[in-house]
Amino acid sequence: MRERGFTRWIVAVPMCLLALATIYPMLFTLNVAMKSRREYVLNQFSLADHLTAANVADAWSSSGLGRYTLNSIVVTAGAVALLLLLGSMAGYAFSQVTFRGRKWLFLVCLGALMIPFQVIMVPFFRVLGQVHLLDTYPGLILAYTGQFLPFTIFLMTSFYSRIPAEVVEAARVDGSTTLGVYRRIMLPLGRPALLSVGILNALFCWNDVLISLLVMQSEQHRTLMVGVTALRGQYSDNIPLFAGGVLVAAVPVIAIYLFFQRQITDGVTAGSTKG
Amino acid sequence: MPSASGHVWQFRRGWIAAALVPALALVSAACGAAAPQSQAGSGGSTGSGKLVVWDWHSGDATTKDYYAKAKSDFQAKHPGVQVEFVAQPYDQYYTLLGTAIQAAKGPDISMFNGGAQMRERATALLPLDDKLGDLKDRLVGWDAFRKDKTTYAVPVTLQGFPFYYNKAVYKKAGLDPNKPPATVTELQTDCAAIKKSGNACFNLGNKEGLGIEFFLSGFGPGVFSPAQYDDWLAGKRDWKSPEVKQIFELWKKTNDDGWYNKGVNSTAMFNDQFTMFSGGKGGNVIGLISDTAHWKSFDEFLGPDLGVYKAPISDPANVKSTFLPAEGGIGYGVMKWTKDPALAMDLVKSLASTDAEKLFFEKAGAIAADKTIDTKAVDVPAAGEIVSWLPDSKPLLHTALSAKTLDLMHRLSQQLISGDVTVDQVLTQLAASDK
Repeated sequence: MRERGFTRWIVAVPMCLLALATIYPMLFTLNVAMKSRREYVLNQFSLADHLTAANVADAWSSSGLGRYTLNSIVVTAGAVALLLLLGSMAGYAFSQVTFRGRKWLFLVCLGALMIPFQVIMVPFFRVLGQVHLLDTYPGLILAYTGQFLPFTIFLMTSFYSRIPAEVVEAARVDGSTTLGVYRRIMLPLGRPALLSVGILNALFCWNDVLISLLVMQSEQHRTLMVGVTALRGQYSDNIPLFAGGVLVAAVPVIAIYLFFQRQITDGVTAGSTKG
Repeated sequence: MPSASGHVWQFRRGWIAAALVPALALVSAACGAAAPQSQAGSGGSTGSGKLVVWDWHSGDATTKDYYAKAKSDFQAKHPGVQVEFVAQPYDQYYTLLGTAIQAAKGPDISMFNGGAQMRERATALLPLDDKLGDLKDRLVGWDAFRKDKTTYAVPVTLQGFPFYYNKAVYKKAGLDPNKPPATVTELQTDCAAIKKSGNACFNLGNKEGLGIEFFLSGFGPGVFSPAQYDDWLAGKRDWKSPEVKQIFELWKKTNDDGWYNKGVNSTAMFNDQFTMFSGGKGGNVIGLISDTAHWKSFDEFLGPDLGVYKAPISDPANVKSTFLPAEGGIGYGVMKWTKDPALAMDLVKSLASTDAEKLFFEKAGAIAADKTIDTKAVDVPAAGEIVSWLPDSKPLLHTALSAKTLDLMHRLSQQLISGDVTVDQVLTQLAASDK
């Protein structure tokens, strides 16, 4: 009994330290966002003199973060919807439909997961320019879809692989077409995975800076994370204002994590075990 | 029992719902796309259309008036032309610009740092020598924006590396606050006293390896003979000379002697190093005269305690007098793909106009490249001194190096501080890189 308690402590202490290391930067940012510039310069680590949301309000009003938030919502919603539709269809095909070259095609999708965006940045930018999609919402939605689709396909394929083939066969015997099986069987059964993948993709799109920076070249189309990053000039020394912007951008992400912790964990571990 | 038609309706309803979500998202996105688009590089040859400028400053509150003035000045001459300033995040700026250059699609005008950053991208810029007009005589700092004797950008500010000091820290250490060190020997004596009084003698942040740039260009005028300095700028660099070795040995020794705040290799220069100095946590700092870490930003916190001095002389037998190392800071270049180079050049002229630059100096504290601006109105003694040193200034030592050699120097400077390499090994590697 005592031994079990001791073992629990061995696990709990490092975990608590890890949690502390994760929470501290958030608290530090919150504290800095409450300070005036002068207060921060004179002592970065002291507690704020008083609670104020002035920096958050300044970041929101003077830097156009409201407009950027709306842009982020539009592209994130569009990209996630498209990713879920295409990812679930491809996942169903790779896991339950037999066709020639299926394994090779799946390997190609997996291979795409291993190519860093920086490698394809220039051709990607050039192609997007040639089809006149630079600085447009569809351009960024398609860019996100292209970038995160391999991951979505991988996760959905892993999930659908666990559904017994007999279920699909039974539906076929009942007269369902391939699309019918997808709609009546795969979509309802895949709901937990779709939720997990949807949340993860929403976080990827929301937090992205580089792709958005490349595609959205005008300020009116900028997404929130790019807007927050741009709050820093070359050497902007108004760190409390920057911290205010970071808080604005982080609140939706933190909220999503708090509400969907279990689904996110399930999503991350999907496909890691079989059966 | 549901009817067959009910089944069909349920089936359709499910599909409509499934298709509606992405369709709606795309339709709403397309609506946004249908809004007027900012097409980079769309300046029309008829004097109408749009000019897009990329920079990293137009989002700052302190430069708002400068950009407004430049824009109104340009639009008075070209009422039909729209101007859009796009403030890009600086840490991604050259990646973004590099991609635009590779794809030959991007802004009409771009902001550049003088020296290596601009020279590395000169092939994407229009040569400007035949378009400068009166700018040539009115502005200084051209060398930083030239490559192979051709001018590719117009300087707007000057950048230099003076030594700022905190008189209160000197006073606390029992030193004369009005007598900054004139030689390296005096500086060493002062540093020992400042350290004893419980302060860091110098503030340093070398997380990105930038500290050595400031150190080399900052101390250079007090170590190199005038001839050696000019040779270095002309590309005749002897990395094994006693003077170059002395600078790198001093870099190592000053750290070993405890001149700096703790953990310099994990301290960010911008803005932690300069925040420390502004907060009174150091006696000296090698700062800037443009952008930030300059007289205006320090004066806000230190007020009358802010002092400034030129590089201390290392060997009085070799160097008789010293000077402020300074050159073009930031400037604007016209991209090759712009549709109307003359129009773009007109906007660059507005950005470099005396009235606009005066606002840059007064509101943002950047020392302007325009030598006709009267700086006497500023009542900060440090600013007056810096301006008075400018006529004798020479370009910075580190910006004469290629980006590749600079990157190597950054890494080696960190290894020198942590004791992983020797000065001789550093100089051998730098000599091999700088060919």
